[in-house]
Amino acid sequence: MGPDIPWYLAVSSILFAIGVGGVLLRRSPLIVLLSLEIMLNSANLAFVGFSRLHGEMDGQIFALAVMAVAASEVCVGLGLIVAMARRRLTLDVDTLTELKG
Amino acid sequence: MAFGGWLCLLAPLAGFLAILLAGTRITRRQAGILSTASVFVGFAGAVIAFVDALGRTPEDRAELTASWTWLTAGDFRVRLELLIDPLSLVMMLVVTGIGGLIVLYSNGYMAGEDEERRYFAYMSFFVFAMLLLVEGGNLLLLLVGWGLVGLASYLLIGFDHHRPSAVLAAKKAFLMNALGDAIMALGLFLAIAKVGSLDYGAVFDAASSGALSDTTVTLIALGLLGGAVAKSAQIPLHTWLPDAMEGPTPVSALIHAATMVTAGVYLICRTHPVFEAAPDIQHLAALLGLATLLLAGVVALVQWDIKRVIAYSTMSQIGYMFVGAGVGAYGFAMFHLVTHAFFKALLFLAAGIVIHHLSGEQDIRKMGGLRRELPVTHVTFLIGTLALVGIPPLAGFWSKDPILAAALAQGGALGWVLYVGGLLGAVLTGLYALRLYFYVFHGERGEAHAEGHHGEGARTMTWPVLVLAGGTCVVGFLAIPGVWEPFEEWLEPVVPPLVAPTAAQDWLTSLVAVTLGVLGSYLAWRAFRAGRELVADGALRNALEHKLWFDELYDALFTRPAQALALRLRDNVEQPVVQRGLDELAEGTLDAAAVAGRAQSGLLRTYALAFAVSVSVLALVFLVVR
Repeated sequence: MGPDIPWYLAVSSILFAIGVGGVLLRRSPLIVLLSLEIMLNSANLAFVGFSRLHGEMDGQIFALAVMAVAASEVCVGLGLIVAMARRRLTLDVDTLTELKG
Repeated sequence: MAFGGWLCLLAPLAGFLAILLAGTRITRRQAGILSTASVFVGFAGAVIAFVDALGRTPEDRAELTASWTWLTAGDFRVRLELLIDPLSLVMMLVVTGIGGLIVLYSNGYMAGEDEERRYFAYMSFFVFAMLLLVEGGNLLLLLVGWGLVGLASYLLIGFDHHRPSAVLAAKKAFLMNALGDAIMALGLFLAIAKVGSLDYGAVFDAASSGALSDTTVTLIALGLLGGAVAKSAQIPLHTWLPDAMEGPTPVSALIHAATMVTAGVYLICRTHPVFEAAPDIQHLAALLGLATLLLAGVVALVQWDIKRVIAYSTMSQIGYMFVGAGVGAYGFAMFHLVTHAFFKALLFLAAGIVIHHLSGEQDIRKMGGLRRELPVTHVTFLIGTLALVGIPPLAGFWSKDPILAAALAQGGALGWVLYVGGLLGAVLTGLYALRLYFYVFHGERGEAHAEGHHGEGARTMTWPVLVLAGGTCVVGFLAIPGVWEPFEEWLEPVVPPLVAPTAAQDWLTSLVAVTLGVLGSYLAWRAFRAGRELVADGALRNALEHKLWFDELYDALFTRPAQALALRLRDNVEQPVVQRGLDELAEGTLDAAAVAGRAQSGLLRTYALAFAVSVSVLALVFLVVR
């Protein structure tokens, strides 16, 4: 047996907070993307933890699904960043305000 | 019999679709040939069904072709089925036979016209619609055919769509017919509500067994009569027919003489149990017919347009048919329908040759002395005219007089009014028909002659006229009162007549009617010889030239109030409420969007913050509320 469930949840919460902080505070799109991944994986950790608590496989399966979505998302996100770099745009989310209302 | 019926119905439809889909890939000539062939194939189908029916016993001649369900709504269902019985067979033969001759004639008449393909497609379509009307196995199919016939007439009257008067006439015909369709639809709705079915059998059983209240039956009959009156151009919905002469002449022959306008008579005969259960309405039909035949007769006395005179004579003759159907002499009414189809198509087609010869001139004051230039047309037109007047042994004599005799046999005040009015109509017929004949074919050569050198036209034009003239001479012998009456016996199982005139009444009527017809003709001849008009100048003539102010009356009663109402609604409702309301809505949306747009900064991190804060607040709310 490993650590108790609260420890898993605590780590998950800390990871999620780090992710939120990264998304809110950093200006480089690359780092924002990384932070998003951290948030997703914190959720995965919570899933797996609960799966273990209840002794059921649902949470683990869901974690796999989240990973698949995360991978697709990274593809799109990195593709966008590469496209921006090619057009020599500044890699700063605060200057990308083209869609202002 | 079913095969013949379906072939008859579907051949013209196939012709219509073929011409429509082929477009410019076929020449104009081919379109005409295709259309003619499709209608004659339909005629062959009708003949097949007819021969089949002849081989059966009279009671066995009605056949409802088994078919499939078309509409279902709860218990109410309508089947797509054809009713082939002696009555519809008569109509099928007339529609495809006379119609085929007229379409054949069109090949010569319309040659060189623009858009000939469209014309022939419409002609086939019209024949299909009319066949659907007469063959439909229940009242709904009949109504469908009814509406399609109205559409076809709209398309054909407005064929010359670059002429504003033709477009107006087409609109007028369509509106009048649509009004009739709507009235008829109301009657059918009532039948659905009270009987629960539109099958002929069910409706007739309910009407004649007394299962329906008197009011219901009366209203259903009134609805049917409304449709019949509009389609057959009887008072008060008659004003479209004279204007419909804007269409090409063969169209006038086909739609406004031989077939379409007789649909009302067919309807009354077909639904006779309903009318018999509501005798007031049936008598109303007879009285409307009488009023129409007299009105059309007097108005025709002062018309100058060759086609309009014939159009008024059509209204007048259909008035006779309504009188016949109104007193319950269905066989006589249907027989007059058949003979009228022959001689009226003949008159129109002969008039078409005259118009064609004179390069489109229709004013009879500019004609005259044409009997030497158009000898064949002259003779055939004379045959048609005499048949119209009812001179023996031509068709009109055998069919019109029995109707009057039936009115006499009906007796009572109604019978006498119809009888005397009908005889008066015979004088008028002699007057206007012979006046037209003399103006066109006798006297001095008119001024319109210099332009025209078409002669009697192609063989496709003269042959149908000759065939119709032959038919006019012989078709009357299908019903010789008291001697040989195969026509009445043929219809007897389907539409048993209510009255049967005695031999004495027949002979008396014929004697009086022919005398009066000859008298009218003689007066017309005297007036023409003396160069006088039949109606002297003055108030009466003025009234007649305005067609007794029916158009003006409808204009004042319906058109102007409707226009005034529409104008007021536009100024007081549409502009201030609808238009302004929409403008306000649009401006409000724009303003709101401008405010909301400020929140959209385009800054990714602001959005993320808003997101995070919102989710946190929601999470807190859930924690607290739990």
